[in-house]
Amino acid sequence: MEQEANASYQSSPRRRFFKTFVTGIGAAIGGLLAVPLAGFYALPALKRSAAPWKAVGPVDQFSVGDVRLVPLEPLERRQWPEDWDRDAAWVYRRGADDFVVYDFHCTHVGCPVNWSPQAQRFFSPCHGGVFDRDGRVLSGPPPRPLDRYETRIENGVLYAGVVYRVDVELQRVN
Amino acid sequence: MGLLRRATDYLEDRLGLPTLWRTFTDRHLPGGIGWIHTLGSATLFLLVVQIATGIFLAFYYVPSPEHAYHSVTQISTALPFGWLIRGIHRWGASLVVVFVILHLLRVFFMAAYKYPRELTWVAGVLLLLLVFAFGFTGYLLPWDQRAYWATVVGIDIAGYAPVVGSYLSELLRGQPEVGVRTLGRFYAFHTLFLPVFLFGLTAAHVAMVVVQGIAPPPVGEFASVEPAEYRTRYALAKKEGRPFYESMAKDTLVALALLVLLFVLAWKLGAPLEDEANPASVTYIPRPEWYFFFLFELLWWFPGKWIPVATFWIPGGLVLALLLLPWLDRSRHRAPLRRPVTTALGTAALVMASFLTYKGATAPKPPGAAATIRTRLETETLSPLARLGLRVFEEQGCSACHTVAGAGGAGGPDLSRVGQARDAAWLTRFIPNPAAVDPTSEMPPYDALSVEDLSALVAYMETLR
Repeated sequence: MEQEANASYQSSPRRRFFKTFVTGIGAAIGGLLAVPLAGFYALPALKRSAAPWKAVGPVDQFSVGDVRLVPLEPLERRQWPEDWDRDAAWVYRRGADDFVVYDFHCTHVGCPVNWSPQAQRFFSPCHGGVFDRDGRVLSGPPPRPLDRYETRIENGVLYAGVVYRVDVELQRVN
Repeated sequence: MGLLRRATDYLEDRLGLPTLWRTFTDRHLPGGIGWIHTLGSATLFLLVVQIATGIFLAFYYVPSPEHAYHSVTQISTALPFGWLIRGIHRWGASLVVVFVILHLLRVFFMAAYKYPRELTWVAGVLLLLLVFAFGFTGYLLPWDQRAYWATVVGIDIAGYAPVVGSYLSELLRGQPEVGVRTLGRFYAFHTLFLPVFLFGLTAAHVAMVVVQGIAPPPVGEFASVEPAEYRTRYALAKKEGRPFYESMAKDTLVALALLVLLFVLAWKLGAPLEDEANPASVTYIPRPEWYFFFLFELLWWFPGKWIPVATFWIPGGLVLALLLLPWLDRSRHRAPLRRPVTTALGTAALVMASFLTYKGATAPKPPGAAATIRTRLETETLSPLARLGLRVFEEQGCSACHTVAGAGGAGGPDLSRVGQARDAAWLTRFIPNPAAVDPTSEMPPYDALSVEDLSALVAYMETLR
């Protein structure tokens, strides 16, 4: 009896109406929750904030031809959460006012490259990546030369800005 | 009537619990279920241990870059039993990976993924991925150098995924460099988000095992699967077998043995903790946890534009093949030798993964690593000039590209026997300007070497025979 009633109910317009109604309300509830939650998670991560300039140090502490590791000091105290970050960069003084400031993460998978003064090369500790003093890949798997910071010199002090990538000709690509 | 009896009757009347429990424990298993079938329950037990120790670690752990490392130090050194709880959690993580893989291999080689257990297998593969996700996210939490750099590398590897890669790594990191938001995210994933899926999938996986029953070993009438007759055959086999209650004895024994093993590992080896994470250090040598060594090694094999083959296509293809296995291997046969292609491919994958893991574990340290030079100076008998040459070889980073006696990179030729192949005069001309001697050579020129260093280097290379 009940089964027969159910069979006719299952094909009735009344049930179809309730199915559409409940599914619609359910989708609305899901969407109302999902949109703010996804935005809350993803938007801060995807936001490209203009990286503040950082002081590298007085120009005359570097001699021409030198490659040195220098801590980067943010000019303004950045807002949480970035204020904890410590940062450093390899600085190569090519000429009087000609500086290259390298991001020290290997372009392969991000291991910290170390400068060898004897070999005059950067070595990555992970998969044998080797870069010359201009950041070019000499050997190993890295797909592009070392990334570098925008630089500017003001009142005898070197500053580092945004990190950018270069192609094999060392021309900026982003 | 005793109190216990009355309570049982009450639960039976209101909820039907005692009957439900006996349905679970007293269900018959087919014959042939032995010790090897405890691998699944062993994995489940290890997961329960991870959940218990993880919850209690969360009482003291603080997920912020300022406090994470120190809260972990405090757990390990100051809090009663802290060293034990953290040690168990750390070693339990490794054992879960070991047992989930052993369990997978057992099911693979016995073809227990075939009709009617295809979806049980799929849930199991998803659980394997979940275990790796737990490993990756939990690894960052101690916030020591090892944790920090493994995460920097791991997130960069995710960035090689086609199209969505750069978004994926930004979403994982939460900020431009691994920092406070990364730690918060990984903590939330590890302790709140992933466990939801772990509970759901584990419950589904175990429920499917109960509903479909354990697959008998692939012998006799179960050496092949005939969907039309399978259920009748299986019901008969179950009737002849013993209740699950009796094989639980094996499961509990294995669980006890594993717990003792965890205590011993926590006591003897402890949970290592390196220096606090320092995002500005350039001398740290990052290395992954052992179950990611295969990936670390694959990255040696696929340089430059081939990197995504190692980071995405091989692991992705492997996961896809595992998920689709029940539909790729459609033969009725279950015995390994009756389905030679599947067995051969599985064995090859296993051998390859073991080989990659071994190679990854013994990968060369970067050139100039002080310990490398010292051990070789101590172990090799060389003339004073050749000893100086070995020092030059290491300082100039030759081993970044060249292997000597099994240690070193693979970018350039193996130099283990270079003294036989090339004489001193040739080497002296070649090293400062390789392209002038051999136009096809990709070796960068070493023209800044002093005459003394070059002759020492050549003297050393002449000893390699």
